[in-house]
Amino acid sequence: MVFIIFIFSACHIDQKPKNELTYWSSNNMQEINFTRYFVNKWNTNHTNNIKFQPIPEGQSSEEVLMAAVVGKTTPDIYANMWQGLVEMYAKSGVLVRLDTINGFVDFIKNRCGDNVLKEITSTDGHIYQIPWKINPIMSVYNKKEMTKIGFQTAPRTYDSFLKAGKKFSKDTNNDGYINQWIGNTSIKNIWYQRLFDFYALYLAASNGGHLIENNKPVFNNKYALEVLTFLQKLYKKQYFAKENNATGSDKFLAGQYATKWTGPWDISYTKKFKPKGFKFGYAPIPVPDSHQGPVFTYADPKNIVIFNTCKKPLKAWEFIKTLISEEGDLKLLSLTEQLPRRQNLEESTLFKDYIKTHPKILPFIKQSNYVYGTDNCELMIEVLSIISDEYEACVVYDKKTPKEALNAAEKAVNILLGNFKSIN
Amino acid sequence: MAKRKFKIGSYLLVSPYVLFFLIFVAFPVFFSFYLTFHKWNVISPMKYSGLYNYEKMLHDHLFYKSLVNTLYFLLIHIPSQLIFSLGIAVILNTKIKFSSFFRAAFFLPVIVSGVVVTIMWQQLYGFNSGLINRLLTDIGLAKIGWLTTENMAMPSIAIMATWKNVGLYIVLFLVGLQTIPKYYYEVADLEGATDWQKFKYITLPAINPTIFMVVIFSTIGGFSLFIEPYVMTGGGPLNSSLSSVLYIYKQAFDFYHMGYAATLGFTFAILIMLVVVLQKRFLEKKY
Amino acid sequence: MKKALIYTILIVFAIAFIYPFFWMTVASLSPENEIGSLTFLPTHFTLHNYISMFGKIPIGRALFNSILVSSIITFCVIFFSAMVGYALAKTRFVGREIIFYIIIFTMTLPFQITLIPNYITMVKLGFVDHYTALIIPFVINNFAILLFRQAFMSIPQALIDAARIDGCNNMRIIFQVLFPSIIPTIVTVGILTFMSTWNEVLWPLIVIRDQQLMTMPQLVTLFSVGGRAEGQLGVKLASTVLLALPIIIAYTFFQKYFIQSMASSGIK
Repeated sequence: MVFIIFIFSACHIDQKPKNELTYWSSNNMQEINFTRYFVNKWNTNHTNNIKFQPIPEGQSSEEVLMAAVVGKTTPDIYANMWQGLVEMYAKSGVLVRLDTINGFVDFIKNRCGDNVLKEITSTDGHIYQIPWKINPIMSVYNKKEMTKIGFQTAPRTYDSFLKAGKKFSKDTNNDGYINQWIGNTSIKNIWYQRLFDFYALYLAASNGGHLIENNKPVFNNKYALEVLTFLQKLYKKQYFAKENNATGSDKFLAGQYATKWTGPWDISYTKKFKPKGFKFGYAPIPVPDSHQGPVFTYADPKNIVIFNTCKKPLKAWEFIKTLISEEGDLKLLSLTEQLPRRQNLEESTLFKDYIKTHPKILPFIKQSNYVYGTDNCELMIEVLSIISDEYEACVVYDKKTPKEALNAAEKAVNILLGNFKSIN
Repeated sequence: MAKRKFKIGSYLLVSPYVLFFLIFVAFPVFFSFYLTFHKWNVISPMKYSGLYNYEKMLHDHLFYKSLVNTLYFLLIHIPSQLIFSLGIAVILNTKIKFSSFFRAAFFLPVIVSGVVVTIMWQQLYGFNSGLINRLLTDIGLAKIGWLTTENMAMPSIAIMATWKNVGLYIVLFLVGLQTIPKYYYEVADLEGATDWQKFKYITLPAINPTIFMVVIFSTIGGFSLFIEPYVMTGGGPLNSSLSSVLYIYKQAFDFYHMGYAATLGFTFAILIMLVVVLQKRFLEKKY
Repeated sequence: MKKALIYTILIVFAIAFIYPFFWMTVASLSPENEIGSLTFLPTHFTLHNYISMFGKIPIGRALFNSILVSSIITFCVIFFSAMVGYALAKTRFVGREIIFYIIIFTMTLPFQITLIPNYITMVKLGFVDHYTALIIPFVINNFAILLFRQAFMSIPQALIDAARIDGCNNMRIIFQVLFPSIIPTIVTVGILTFMSTWNEVLWPLIVIRDQQLMTMPQLVTLFSVGGRAEGQLGVKLASTVLLALPIIIAYTFFQKYFIQSMASSGIK
């Protein structure tokens, strides 16, 4: 009956034409436009057609992928994979070993540099991902409010940040409650939130230090300690609000937060929704006062991978090369306002025109030489979740000292990664 | 001849159910049980792990915490719901004008999606700009950190859950109350009984089955608490609003620990059934 | 005196139950920067939030999906549950009591056990990201079976025997002869099923990724928890209002039936 028809009609899964390659892109309108341009360009010149499908963003995209792997319907090429996830997929043996492709390593070295090459090499010595784009995390600041308290830019050190907090965070309408704060981060205990506060600050403080090395936690160090102490002070002294960002309207645009830690996606968002006369700028995130050297930050990297169900990985690589060519990278920047993970963006002649006409992107371009993604660890999400638990207890609710939090996190991560010998 | 035809016809009639049961009940239960002895992150093949998941669960403080949280939620939610719905039902059962308007008003939250209620209450509970706190400060009281204080998060969610469901139980109690013959109360009045005595000796016993049903429904519903903490608190602060289902969801869909999630699910399910059986024994009075 | 107190209590509570809906609707019709200070009526009335929302997410499509899925499920549930309920009520066959007890047992089975394996079943059958995944797991409802069983049991056997003499087979007996007599049950099952499937969120969140196939509550959840609303509270609230609206409209018209069906289902 109807039931049976249902089952049969749904069981029919589209047969892929033999010569076609499937490419999954993100669902974001600008990236779809970007993809369409290059897919069309390729299809007019080649016999192996690329068919592209946008899939939902964010956490959902991981679940789509999961379902695809189980159902054996993975795409040939998947763009937009968070760098932290690659190791898990690599260890499961579903990704192509890209370093075995002729010319791959040199191409990447040329485009991205040695450091990035090292960063994306898996623990087994092979490379399973193509670094594609980044969204460096920086401070955005409300120019008018910061000038009012005597700052030309967002505070650059912990000390000055706290001083700014003292000046700005106050109760302006005398109802007994503070109603403006120097900044805020999400207090919801979700693992990926830490990438944009704790982890970014940790990278800045430690000049690109690692969380996990050789399957062992290495974050229990003085840099993490300084970061946690700084963040804890911000909440203790009520310079940051203990409130969920979901409630009410955007407080940065309303002038209630003077700064925020965010990425280049913020530029067009703020331009679109800001009230009249609102002036804003970007600066690197703060570092400890004793810090030396350039300020690093979190790259929020999304990369491209090829699944080993792909019958023509070499052709797939040829197509991907067009996306990360000079033309590709320029189009990426101009269409999506996300940065390609290419070295020397500022010096290159390629982007000079764009930067001139879009000056707000310049801080991010400058920052792009000092970014780091994630370490290679299969259980990175859970590691961050453990850190987030301790972060919440220490920073937001003042139930532990930073040292206690780090010790507890280290212990939990050791248990997680199976390093029983390290537990005393 | 006719009798045999009869029987085949019956089997045909129930065949959809049997098929459905096998695919969506029997198979999952067995597969779930099978999964508890394996480690599986979906993209790699399953790895046999014996009793590893069970051991992990016994040492997992979040497992116990989510259980305690859920029980804490039920302990607040069920009595408050019972008292409130029974109380209002009793009031509405007397000669009240516009009773159907009131009944409809209370029923309104029941029919809308849990998502609507959750998003709505997120705006009510906000610390600085939430409506409830604004009301409190307007009348001179202090603001409360509904969702940002460790011991307040679960009660806040319980209040919201009660608000959402109470209309249904008011209706159920009203139906039950209306079956009590009026002359019982008239006789009691003649004997000089107080309101409270009337309630205790006439009303309560008569609606005992309804009370029992409300408790069971609320319990089973309470154990499946998910969307509210998922949207409002993410399980915080400090995992105080981490319900059992939310924890299973996190293990399965954040960390890809399918085997462990199945272990948690199975264990919680058995515990729920235990609780329901216990409630049946102690609360249901047989006639 | 006592009466006045009682009425005050009732009115206060009634306000507490209605006001949040009212506020939400009003806020969704206000400009973003005024929501924070809003108490009763908006100073400026605007449809901007709704327009913006329609531009960001396919909410019309989600509405369609929800209507489609809920309707099909309701239809299937009535159809199949009536069949099974009839078989349990009016026929005798080996295994009848066993099936009855299995149904009762399954009703107490919490969904935690079946959630993940059902998801895997959907993946293996290739139903993920199809309407099928939303529909198939819900086409039979234990509660509906019991309701139909109850209803059929109260129909005199003579009616069925007469129909059988006339040559009707089982299906015709159920749907042509008996259905007209049990309209209240059918309506109850229909309303309850439609409502519960409409509000179902966890399952769609797990099996549907493609935005074009999402149900309304699912889309609104992702919209509100995810970043698509771009932090615009008014837009988020607009989507929430739109989610609540269809059921509330249906409620105002079918109020009597709604409450009746909830009550009668509870009594069993």
